[in-house]
Amino acid sequence: MVSNQPPATTPAQPYGEIYDLGYKHYDGKRLGRSHAIRALIVYSIKRGLGIKKKWTAKIIPLILYAIAFIPAFIVAGIKAFVPSDDFTYSYHDLNDFIFLTLFIFAAALGPEMLSDDRRENVLGLYFSRALTRLDYLLAKIAAMGLLLGTIAFGPPLLLFIANVLLADNPITYFFDHIGDLGRIAAYGTLASAYLGAISLAIAAYTNRKGVAGAIFIGGILMITGIANALFQALDSGIGDYIILVDPFDLVVALSAWIWSEPTNMDMADLPGIAYGLAVLATVGLSAVLMYRRYLADE
Amino acid sequence: MTVSDQPIVTTAALTKAYGSVIALDTVDLSIPRSAIGLLGANGAGKSTLIKLLLGLIAPTGGTATMLGMDIRSDVIRIRERVGYMPESDCLPMDVTAADFVGHMAEMSGLPGRDARQRANDVLYQVGVDEERYRLIRGFSTGMKQRVKLAQAIVHDPELVFLDEPTNGMDPQGRDDMLNLINRIHRQLGITVIVSSHLLEDIERVCDYVVMVDRGKLVVNGRINDLMQGGGDVIVRIDGDPQRLVDGLAARQLSARLSGPEVIVAAPDGGVSDAVYDAIRDAVVEMDAPLRMLRGRERSLEDVYIQTVGEMVAAEDVVAANGQ
Repeated sequence: MVSNQPPATTPAQPYGEIYDLGYKHYDGKRLGRSHAIRALIVYSIKRGLGIKKKWTAKIIPLILYAIAFIPAFIVAGIKAFVPSDDFTYSYHDLNDFIFLTLFIFAAALGPEMLSDDRRENVLGLYFSRALTRLDYLLAKIAAMGLLLGTIAFGPPLLLFIANVLLADNPITYFFDHIGDLGRIAAYGTLASAYLGAISLAIAAYTNRKGVAGAIFIGGILMITGIANALFQALDSGIGDYIILVDPFDLVVALSAWIWSEPTNMDMADLPGIAYGLAVLATVGLSAVLMYRRYLADE
Repeated sequence: MTVSDQPIVTTAALTKAYGSVIALDTVDLSIPRSAIGLLGANGAGKSTLIKLLLGLIAPTGGTATMLGMDIRSDVIRIRERVGYMPESDCLPMDVTAADFVGHMAEMSGLPGRDARQRANDVLYQVGVDEERYRLIRGFSTGMKQRVKLAQAIVHDPELVFLDEPTNGMDPQGRDDMLNLINRIHRQLGITVIVSSHLLEDIERVCDYVVMVDRGKLVVNGRINDLMQGGGDVIVRIDGDPQRLVDGLAARQLSARLSGPEVIVAAPDGGVSDAVYDAIRDAVVEMDAPLRMLRGRERSLEDVYIQTVGEMVAAEDVVAANGQ
């Protein structure tokens, strides 16, 4: 039998309610200082690449990556499709492009890492959190190193992989040339550290990004010019050591030493270790300058 | 003693000198968990005290604890539980408010997803809603102050330092900011230390006040206690107010003219009925109509002027004796 009674209704339920929960206390995880350092590295890398910034900020990194990687792709392509014994293109040759790209990238990155935070007084907010001044500086150096490293290591590694794959016997080639990886690492580390350290040291003392970049580029070009003039003017002896303060020729000589290639330069040929020590001394001096700026008053 | 009874900040002979300039001079403090006003003129040492407590600068002498921890040895642990809103501009221009506050939450150790969620929630709470996805460059002063406040509380601190939080804000923005500060303390139980040179701001949001002047601690106590004790009495008559001043002097009451009004200073024991009786008698004696008679509550300004004045006078005496 069907009842004519209306079905029993349940008390009216609101369809939905909106609550203003207001500010809530946070009871989730707190990952501490190490997480803060990692997060600052990632954030700084994104800033360096122009991520979450207007499109003009992305152009310079894109062009630089293209300049750095295209020669390696072209060389790999030639070796793959037009093999010729006459075509010799070494890692040392590739380093000319890499150095030029690193030079411009370092000029843009150093100020990006440090100058804005100083000019906009954001440092006070960082240092009032679970982050020491040293943590901040190391995170910025790490971000700079990782970004420069992609350019310093990427193209020669690409060329190495191409050489291995195109070899008659890739496995034998790999083990015969495994030392090349060490040389790639050595040059990439020293060249990145050299240019990165100088750029960061300048940026640590300059609040305007454009000014810091201009000082870096102008300063290095000027020193190179003066060093070349002095080399011509001075007798060999003292003049031979001018190369140690001449950034462009120093890094070329460093690459030649690491890859056991001739420098093809007018400048004197010092023992290779001298170039390595000159790079390390410059990095050390830059570290002292950064220490004085960020850590001395802690 | 429970945690809430413990002082949140203690200092002993805390001193900071920049060469021969002493920014903070042997300050001894014990501040309870409360809404605390840090009051003083520009350059009095307020920001120096905050920066010392946060470990942003090192003290020249003395010791201090915050949240029961030493400011020198436990600085990182302290900072994990403290928020800071600086006085000066401190925001990056080409970042959105949501990205920046989220980044600051991560800098306090919150995982990425939680940091982004908290940033959105807190920005909403401080009144930066849809605008949080815009670059900070386009924000008004009031909006920037709100973002600064949001980054200070995004990691849910136990204590937050607000250095001149209403600086540069219009009256409406200032009112909103003071309401927000009130909420942070009263509803959320976060201890706030508000530094300001504006006595009204401190009176409105704080229960406790620390006054500094030229690097020295002047007053340290609960506002209600400090404001106890009678204020002055203001009298206005139709007649010669100077005659009234003289008449009050004859009754051992100190009074002065302030325009057409006569300000009768509260005697040491406060304003009793006897004071009002004496004023009435003086007015009756003059046969002048009484237009106004009202007591004026003691304000923080009175406390400040009185204590700073006494301190300056004492220094003058010392200087004079030394000559």
